[in-house]
Amino acid sequence: MSAAGIVVLGTPRSGTTLLRRLLDAHPNIACPPETYVLSGAARFLHEETFAQGLQIGALFGLGYAGFDEAEVLGRLRRFAFGFFEEHAAKAGKGRWAEKTAFDAFHVDAIRRLCSGHVKFVCLHRHGLDVAASLAELVDKTGGFVEELHRYVTRYPQPLEAYAHAWVDTAGAIEELAQSEGGEALSIRYEDLARDPEAVLRDVLTFVGEPWDEGIVERGLGEASAVGFGDWKTYARAKVDTKSVARWKSLPRATQTMLAAVCNPTLERLGYEPVATEDEVDEDARRRYELGLLLGRLKKEE
Amino acid sequence: MALTRDALIQYLEDKARVDLSGVDDEAELFSSGLVDSFAMVDLLVFLEKHTGTKMGPEDITLENLDSVSRILAFAAEQTQ
Repeated sequence: MSAAGIVVLGTPRSGTTLLRRLLDAHPNIACPPETYVLSGAARFLHEETFAQGLQIGALFGLGYAGFDEAEVLGRLRRFAFGFFEEHAAKAGKGRWAEKTAFDAFHVDAIRRLCSGHVKFVCLHRHGLDVAASLAELVDKTGGFVEELHRYVTRYPQPLEAYAHAWVDTAGAIEELAQSEGGEALSIRYEDLARDPEAVLRDVLTFVGEPWDEGIVERGLGEASAVGFGDWKTYARAKVDTKSVARWKSLPRATQTMLAAVCNPTLERLGYEPVATEDEVDEDARRRYELGLLLGRLKKEE
Repeated sequence: MALTRDALIQYLEDKARVDLSGVDDEAELFSSGLVDSFAMVDLLVFLEKHTGTKMGPEDITLENLDSVSRILAFAAEQTQ
């Protein structure tokens, strides 16, 4: 039996593309640019409760047609994994890995489909850095993917919306890691940025692959794979920590607002909670006044 | 309370996340873009709380605020 596939899960903007590039540089692992196959499969499994408590969805509908849940999941799994296996075979590699950042919004269904059949690598990044980076992504692309748009319609302040998206996705990923036990490994972007070799060694040990000398340099040097993913990472030939703790440059009031959303999850994931300052209305007004005065200075520059 | 150079540098590096490596005390902070507007407003709030004074429009000038040495001199004046 061939080695199990590897599924990378991480909130968008958590360094998943960086990890994908490093994994794909291994001689036995093929990890293509984002395929959206697993989130597509998750949508196939979407179910909802209809009138009078009736549950509807493909599993229930096919159940009435004589296909039990295990049969449907097995077929869907073979369909989804088949693409990854074929891609790996074409690349001449023995096993596949898959990462699509927005899979993080479909963790429950992906777990239902993949549990017991894959190794999960769960990548976390500080929630305030994720929120700030999502804001940058939306600013650059000029729009929202559907998964993120749901949060923006619920919360009037975009950064608050992204923070809630991080809480939900990072929380779901950590729950998966906890319940999968030895089949899941949790790592941090901050560690990956600080020491990519050490983290990659841990990941390869976890998935049962040997270390391959030069893998980090090859992974960062390879920019020919065209596909979906974080475009910023392709411009980098080396990893650095410039993108770690960027949230500290957010205005203090914004940090405080985001801390209220993120701190419980930050602590759950082993991060230091963000220190907050209780800002009374008077402070907020003074900050506004000083901002106006500063604006005048900028005009005079 | 007098604002020390160490306290200001620590504030700029930790809270405003300004990279001051290779930057001397005379280097322009705001007009060079090293400190952005958001960080500058936070710095003004920090200065007001530290000196216990309220800044007026006449105080918010590049002469007072555009370098480490100018900020220290301005804060010293305010606390006299």
